[in-house]
Amino acid sequence: MNDILKIGSKLALICAVAAISLGLVNAVTEPKINQMREQKLMNALKKVAVGMEVGKYKEVPDNPVVKGYYPLNDNSGTQKGYIFNLVGIGYGGDLNIIAGVSTKGKILSVVMMNNQETPGLGKEAENPEYMKKYIGTGEDSPVPVRKSQLSQEDADAITGASITFMGIGKALEAASDFAKKEGAE
Amino acid sequence: MLKEFTKGIFKENPIFIIVLGLCPALGVSTKVINAIGMGAGVIFVLLGSNIFVSLLKNFIPEKVRIPSYIVIIASFVTIVQMTMEAFAPALYKSLGVFVPLIVVNCIILGRAEAFANKNTVMSSIMDALGMGIGFTLALLLIAFIREFLGAGTITLFPVGSFSGVIRIPVLADNPVRVFGLAAGALLVIGFLKAFFNWYSERRAG
Repeated sequence: MNDILKIGSKLALICAVAAISLGLVNAVTEPKINQMREQKLMNALKKVAVGMEVGKYKEVPDNPVVKGYYPLNDNSGTQKGYIFNLVGIGYGGDLNIIAGVSTKGKILSVVMMNNQETPGLGKEAENPEYMKKYIGTGEDSPVPVRKSQLSQEDADAITGASITFMGIGKALEAASDFAKKEGAE
Repeated sequence: MLKEFTKGIFKENPIFIIVLGLCPALGVSTKVINAIGMGAGVIFVLLGSNIFVSLLKNFIPEKVRIPSYIVIIASFVTIVQMTMEAFAPALYKSLGVFVPLIVVNCIILGRAEAFANKNTVMSSIMDALGMGIGFTLALLLIAFIREFLGAGTITLFPVGSFSGVIRIPVLADNPVRVFGLAAGALLVIGFLKAFFNWYSERRAG
């Protein structure tokens, strides 16, 4: 009995010290990390906005993919498109994607944010080159969601990471449909 | 003391001889730069956990030593991760994905259990450095073979005008893609392990 208490209290002590030190480090680093993440989001927005004005963020309730959007306006204030905050399903969990889409549903730009894809395979989607296969689709041609919709070269490049590719494709397809529907109203 | 350092590099190489930490070795050895990143992370955490475990070896009760080691390792990894994300964002961007993987890397727990809890702080530091460097070298070798054959490139750090990617003529246009996939990783590790077995048997006479 005494023995168990002794062992238990020692283990509890180790855990308590670990928890306190983690808490201290977190208190110091958290504000900095949040600031950094916000900066990263702003940079991504700027990149996606392709020179247009970014409006106020609007949340979209009850949509599994489109979580919200910033309207994109030109200089005169007319809405030209959206910047969508998308959550797709990847190989390693959620894919956080920021995408600029025209009011007609054309994909203008895509940036991959937080994700847990496999380094060297799915993670390649963080590379801006990767997104080229989606850009320009959605209005006249469908957003690629299957390997057969890609050129041979692009299809080869995603070998081993087709789930990431389909996850991004489906999220963008939903964004494109959303933009088309909003535009029609 | 020097023996504790050198044994990890060849005689007791964590990947090829002890066969510990294969999951990260399979997972991140697609590019040379990933191997460098994972290796650096492992050396750092291994050093920290070996120091703490050898310092606390008389305090930690025998019966709950494994949970205690895990708590120490996990806290250490989390602290490294948070500090890195806050103060070295560039480094975090390239190493960030590997850092949480280190918690479950068997080498860290393996060395705590097999070495650090029986030895002095100084020998534990030497052991950590040797094992960490041995792991890094093994990972580099696997990643080099896989990236060379599987993608026809060698990816290093970008420096100045050099993009960090060396393209191998002919292979870059006709890569043997299987080496980039999981099956290729197993093949490469299998052949390297066979080579190391043959070599150490021959050396032992």
